[in-house]
Formats: sequence, C-alpha cells, structure tokens
Amino acid sequence: MELFHDYIRDGRIKLRDRIKEPTTVQDPCNVVRSGGLAKKNRQLAAYLSEDFRPMKQQGNYNYCCGGGGGAMPMGGEMKKDRLKCGGVKAQQIRETGAKIVFVPCHNCIDQIRDLSKEYDLGIKAIHFKEAISEHMIIPPEMIPKDNDEE
Amino acid sequence: MSEEIKPHEIVDFLKPRLNARFRTWLKICARCGLCADTCHYYRAHGNDPKMIPAYKVRFLRELLRKKGRVDRDYLQKIYDTIYHECNMCRRCTLFCPFGIDIALMISLLRAMLFSLGIAPEGLVKAIDNYKESGNQMAVTDEDWVDTVQWVEEEMAEEVVGLKVPIDKKGAKLLYTVNAREPMFYPQDMMEVAKIFHVAGEDYTYSSKPGWDATNLAMFCGDAGTSKLIVENTFKQAEELGVQKVAVTE
Repeated sequence: MELFHDYIRDGRIKLRDRIKEPTTVQDPCNVVRSGGLAKKNRQLAAYLSEDFRPMKQQGNYNYCCGGGGGAMPMGGEMKKDRLKCGGVKAQQIRETGAKIVFVPCHNCIDQIRDLSKEYDLGIKAIHFKEAISEHMIIPPEMIPKDNDEE
Repeated sequence: MSEEIKPHEIVDFLKPRLNARFRTWLKICARCGLCADTCHYYRAHGNDPKMIPAYKVRFLRELLRKKGRVDRDYLQKIYDTIYHECNMCRRCTLFCPFGIDIALMISLLRAMLFSLGIAPEGLVKAIDNYKESGNQMAVTDEDWVDTVQWVEEEMAEEVVGLKVPIDKKGAKLLYTVNAREPMFYPQDMMEVAKIFHVAGEDYTYSSKPGWDATNLAMFCGDAGTSKLIVENTFKQAEELGVQKVAVTE
C-alpha cells in the first residue's frame, strides 16, 4: 500500500480518472496502528476517489474489523463472535454512506465482505490494487495493438 | 484436554517471560475503565463490563497468585476470553493513560496456552502447513511457480512486454503475498503485475518457501514456527540480494 501511494504521489503511476461513487477506507490494525501507515492509507484512498468519506474514527483511532488476531483463520468456531463484534465496523461504514470500501488487508477484506452480507451494507470491499489497475493510465506503447484500450 | 495440568509448567512458562514491562503494567493498571469504550467487543455487547480490556488480562495476575494451580475449566475460560473476545487490535492501548499494551498480554496468555497444547484448530492446521510447505495453505513449490508463470502469461496479453520475475538476483524488492492469493485470489497478483510493470518497479518473487507474507503462528504464540516463517523470507531476501521485502498489504 505504501508503494502504491508513493507511485501515485511521485507520478510513476498516473490515473486516468477517479472513482465516482462515494468511498471510504478501512485502517487495518497491522498496517495502520502497528505499521504506521495511517496518513498514506488515507491519502491513497483520496487520490483514487472523487467523493472520499473517511470513517468517524480513522487512522490510528479506527476500530478493528473484528477479524484480526487470528479470528478469520480460526474459521467456524469464531464466525458468530466476529460477526457480532464486527457490528461496530458495520455501523461505521454505514455512517459514511460509502458504496466502495478500500481494504488494504486480505484478512479485513474477507471480514468486511462477510459484514456486508450480515448487516446488509450494500457495499463493495476492494483492495487498492484493483482500483489502481482499473483507473491507471497504461502508456500507449504497452497497449496491445489489436485492442483499443487495455 | 483430559491430561493433568502441571502447575509448575504454567509458572515456569510465565515467570521468565513476565519481564519488567509486564510486571509494571500489571501493577500500574488503575482499573480506571478508560479502555472500556475503546473496545469493539465492549460496544458490540451492549457495554458488558466483562468485555473491558483491562479485565480480560486478569488471568495473568490470577495464574501467578494461584501458582498455576488451576483446572481445565479455568483454562477454557482463558481460551474463550483471549481468543473469542479480543482481536489484539491494540486500540485500547492508545487510550490507556499508561499505554498498557493489553494485546501483548493477551499474546502472552495465548503463548502460555500453546505451551500446554491448547490452540484453535484453524491456527494449528495452518502451523502444520507452514512447517510442511512454508506457507499457510500448503501450496506446493511447483504449484506456486506455475501460478506465477500463469499470471505472467495472462497479463502479458493485456500489457505489452509485461514480465513477472522469479528469483531475479539483485532485484530491488522481494515481493511476498498472502498464500490465499495463489489459491483464491490470483487476480490480486495480476493487478500487482500490471501496476509494477507500468511503474517500472524492479522486483522479484521467490520460488522457494518465504513467499508467503502471513504469519498465523504468531497469533497463537507459537514462537518457534513464527521464527521459521520469518527466517524463510529473510533467507530468500539474502540469497537474492534484494534491498527490501514488500508485503502484499
């Protein structure tokens, strides 16, 4: 995530356009609180969005998705508990009104997709990678000749 | 679970690990309750006082006081609390006036249970996989390399000149993924291949164990396997002579 942020900041990756739907961003505990990437996480989300809506508690002060600390890989025995404690995250997401949630963590993203089903949030949780690869400019010499775009 | 618990095993495990930092935290906690509202379990359970972070680590104090003389039911109570009521997210620490690291104490309790052979099945399965294959999903080296090559083939059709380097000596970055990517989310690897290529990044994957960035052994305090996982990656980084290791998140 830090690399992607720097690519866009430094112009190594240029964006064709930005996401029009309202977006928000999850702050994964190990990337943000323990990894120190709060600012870059927020900034990268802002780079990619026309309508970025941060959660009320954000950055280091954001809540855990409820899937951390081994809760996701614990599988079935933890499912009920993680969906319940994830209610706090579900509420945070709902409050932003976002339709797209950037989630730079494979653990959080599975949990947030489960939360979306459980709490009927109607959101799409995506990695930054997906958004960047869709919205970035591919230099003309890298575009195959038989295709018009990409 | 039916084996007899040997109290000295619990004490012998905890004592040398309860360094000055832990002992200070145990003494200094004023039970002020500021951590209560910071916890998503507390809030999601209707402000249940049993969910207050400071209360969840009472076991450390109790185990020492009882000199490890506890029964299976007590150990089960610890398990239910430290696995089912805490994600070790460390949010409570930010609000604690003393900066007490509750998650680290939970982690020590998990390690203590692990030393007695108690850990969640899902994590134990992952640990077995790490030991056997170097990654949590037990992907074989052949399948892994096949997947990376397949990603290159697919993406080269979309982006002219795209390569996905494996074992490239002297690359700037060693890029590591979550083992769930080759199994379930190869599109993540495709997107990254595209971004790296356009950004002109000098990176490489490793064909040998060490390419999985996850460390699930850490979550149940299995220090031995945790170390093995990190060493795998470190060894690849050294052998390939990279400057940095990047993880998928």
